[in-house]
Amino acid sequence: MRIHGLGMSWGVVGTAVALTATLTGCAGSSDPEGSGGSGGKTTITFSYLWTGAEAAALEKIIKDFNASQSRIVVKGVSNPDAQKQLASMSSGSGSFDISDNFGSNVGAWAAKGILAPLDDLLKDTDTADFAPAAMAQMRHKGKTYAVPISVHTLQLVYNKKMLAEAGVEPPKTTDELAAAVAKLTKVGPGGDITRLGLGNPSLMNSLTTLGFAFGGTWDGQDPAAPAPTPSQPGNLAALKFWQDTITSKYGADKVAKFVAGWGQYMSPQDPFYAGKVAMIMDGEWQAVSIQKNAKDLEWGVTSIPVAEPALEGTTQLTASTLFIPANSRHKEEAAAFLKHLSGKDAMREFNLALGNLPARTSLLDDPAFKAIPQFSAWLDALKSPNVKSLSSAPYSAQYATDLSSAFDSVARGTATPEQAMGQVAERAKSYATN
Amino acid sequence: MPRTDRRRELLKGLAFASPFLIGFAVFIAYPILASFRYSFTDFNLFQEPTAVGLDNYAHMLSDDRFWRSLGNTLYLTALGVPLTIVIALAGAHVLNLPVRGQPLFRALVYLPTIVPVVVGGYLWRWLLNAQYGFVNHLLELLRLPAPLWLESPDWSRPAIVLMSLWTVGGTTIIYLAALKEIPKDLHEAAAIDGAGAWRRFRHITWPTLSPITLFQVIVTLISFLQIFTQPYLLTQTRLNESSGGPDDSMLSYSMYLFQNAFVFLKMGYASAMAWVMFLITLVITALLLASSRRWVHYGSR
Repeated sequence: MRIHGLGMSWGVVGTAVALTATLTGCAGSSDPEGSGGSGGKTTITFSYLWTGAEAAALEKIIKDFNASQSRIVVKGVSNPDAQKQLASMSSGSGSFDISDNFGSNVGAWAAKGILAPLDDLLKDTDTADFAPAAMAQMRHKGKTYAVPISVHTLQLVYNKKMLAEAGVEPPKTTDELAAAVAKLTKVGPGGDITRLGLGNPSLMNSLTTLGFAFGGTWDGQDPAAPAPTPSQPGNLAALKFWQDTITSKYGADKVAKFVAGWGQYMSPQDPFYAGKVAMIMDGEWQAVSIQKNAKDLEWGVTSIPVAEPALEGTTQLTASTLFIPANSRHKEEAAAFLKHLSGKDAMREFNLALGNLPARTSLLDDPAFKAIPQFSAWLDALKSPNVKSLSSAPYSAQYATDLSSAFDSVARGTATPEQAMGQVAERAKSYATN
Repeated sequence: MPRTDRRRELLKGLAFASPFLIGFAVFIAYPILASFRYSFTDFNLFQEPTAVGLDNYAHMLSDDRFWRSLGNTLYLTALGVPLTIVIALAGAHVLNLPVRGQPLFRALVYLPTIVPVVVGGYLWRWLLNAQYGFVNHLLELLRLPAPLWLESPDWSRPAIVLMSLWTVGGTTIIYLAALKEIPKDLHEAAAIDGAGAWRRFRHITWPTLSPITLFQVIVTLISFLQIFTQPYLLTQTRLNESSGGPDDSMLSYSMYLFQNAFVFLKMGYASAMAWVMFLITLVITALLLASSRRWVHYGSR
C-alpha cells in the first residue's frame, strides 16, 4: 500500500482553493503583453485542447489568418489539460482569449458567468446557417455563449461481409436490428461469445441514441427549459431493447467477459475492425479511422434503426465549440478571429483535416468532403428533422455520470430499466440549477 | 544575552524558517481553513460562495452515492488493512531468513513500490482482464473459478485490494528493519527454555514489534481511507467519463469527492465531504491510539 504525503481529501480541495486564491491574487498585475504586441497589433491567445495532427491543421489556419490582416496576431497554444482551462477562467484575467470545448458544457459554464455572451459580438454572423441542434446547445437562457466549429452524428456502421454471410440486410427498424443481432452473434461451446452482433464503443452514446430512436427524450421537450427526464417511455423502451436483445439473451457475465477482451478503440485491434462485432453505432471519425487502421475492412453505413417511421433519420449530435472566456481583455479581437475560424473556408479546411462534420449546413454538400469514403452518410444525417442532442444544462455533467452508471446496471442486468431510471430521477432532484 | 540580541536572534530564526512558514501558511493552513468555510457554502469555483448553513452536511444523509462511496471505502479499509499487516509481517519473516541471495529477494519485494502507480494501474488492468488476464489464467490452471474482476461488483473491490497489496513491500521493509532490532538473546533464552517458534513469536516478536505495528496500522488505515489512484485507474473509461465501476462498486470516497469538486463543480459539498472524512479518520485513529495501551508494548516502560 503506497503512502501518500498530504491527505488526498484535503489535498484535492486544498490545492484547488490555493490555486484559486493565488490566481485571484495575481489578477491586478495582469500581463502587459496583451495589448502591446508586435508593431501596434493586438496579440490574442488561442488555447486549444487539440493535439498532434489536429493541432497542426489548426496552426496552419492561424498562420493564414495572421497573414491575412494587419490588426490582430493570434498565438496558438496546444493545451489539452481541461482542468487548467477551467482554472484559468476562474481568475480576474486569464491566460487565453479564445478556446474550445464541447457543447455539453456550455450551459454549466454560462450559468457560472465564465463565458462571454456572443450575441452582440457576432451580430453580423449568420447563425441560422449552423446546425439547429448544435446551436441549441450553444444557448443558455436565450443568449449565445459559444459557436460550433465541428459537429458529430452517430450512424449504424456495419461489416458488409458478415451481413452478407448471415443473409442480413442493413436494419432499418429496431425490430430488424434485434433480428440482425440474433443472426450475427456467434456463441462458442460453453456459451462463450465469439462474435457480438452489435458492439458499443460507448454505452452512453449507444443507449442515449437508442432512446431517441425509440422516441424518447433525455431533457424534456422544451430546449429553452431543459430538465432531466430519464424515465420517459421511449428511453425505457430503448433500455429494455438492449436487455432483451443482448443482456438476457447471451448472459450478462458472458457479454462482460467478451467485452473485456476487446482491443483498444480505433486501433487495428478495435473489436469492429478485428471482426469481433458486426455492427456499431458510431461517429463520422470512423470513416477516417477505418482507412488508416483497417484498410481491408469492407464496411457500410446506414441510418440508426428506429422504432416507428416518423422517427426515421434519428441521430444524436454532439458539438465541438469555440468560446471567449468572460475574463478575456480582448473580446472584440477574439470575436474577429472566432468569426474567421467559424467561417466557411476555415471550417471546411479544419473539418477536412480532422475528418469531422462542419457545423454549417451550407457546407454539407460541399464537394471537398466527397474525398472521404462514405462520409456523406453522416453529413446527410444532419439534414434530418430528427437530429437530437443531449441538453447542455448546468446539471449535465452530473446527469451524464448518473446515466452512465445506471446504463451500466441495465446492461449488466442488475436493474430493470424502470429501477435504474427511477434512481436517476431521484438523484436528479438535487442537481444544480445554476 | 541582552534583550535586543535575543530579539534579533528570534527574527533571524524566523527569517530562516520563513520559506517553510510562508509555504505552510499559504499552501496548507489557508486552504484548510478556507475549505472549512466553503463547506458551509454553495461554491462553484467561479462565483462568490453563498452561505447555505449546514445544507451540504444535511445533503450527505440523503445522497445514496455518498453512502455507497463511504461503504466502499470502509469495505476496502476493513479488507485491506489486516491483509497488508499480515502479509507484510509474514513477508518480513521470510526476508529475514538466512538464505543465499537474500538482498536480491528483498529488492524484488520492494520493487513494485517504486513502480509509478499509474504504470502499475495499467499493468493490473491487463493482469485482471477477464478474458486474457494472467491472474485468471493462473486460477484456471489451478482449476479455480475465474471471476470477472473488473466487471462484477462482487469482485471489483477485492481487485483494488489485490492491486494495493502489490506495493506491500514498503510496509514489509519497515517490519524487516524492526525484526532485525529484536535482541537475539531474547530468542535464544526462550529457545533454551523450550519455547517453540509460535510461542517465541507470540511472546517476543509480536510485543517488541507492537509500536511499529501501531504505526503501520495507522499509516495503512489512512492511505486506505483516502484511496483514490487505484480505483480511479481501474475504472477509467475511454472518453475519461467519470465512472465508479460496475454498480459504483469502485467509487471510493476520495473519487466521489473529486467528482463533486471538479466534474460537478460543487466545491462546497466537496469541502464538506473532506471535513467529514477528516473527522472519520480522526475518530478511528483516536480509537486505535486509545486501544494501543492494551496491546502496544514499549520496552522502556
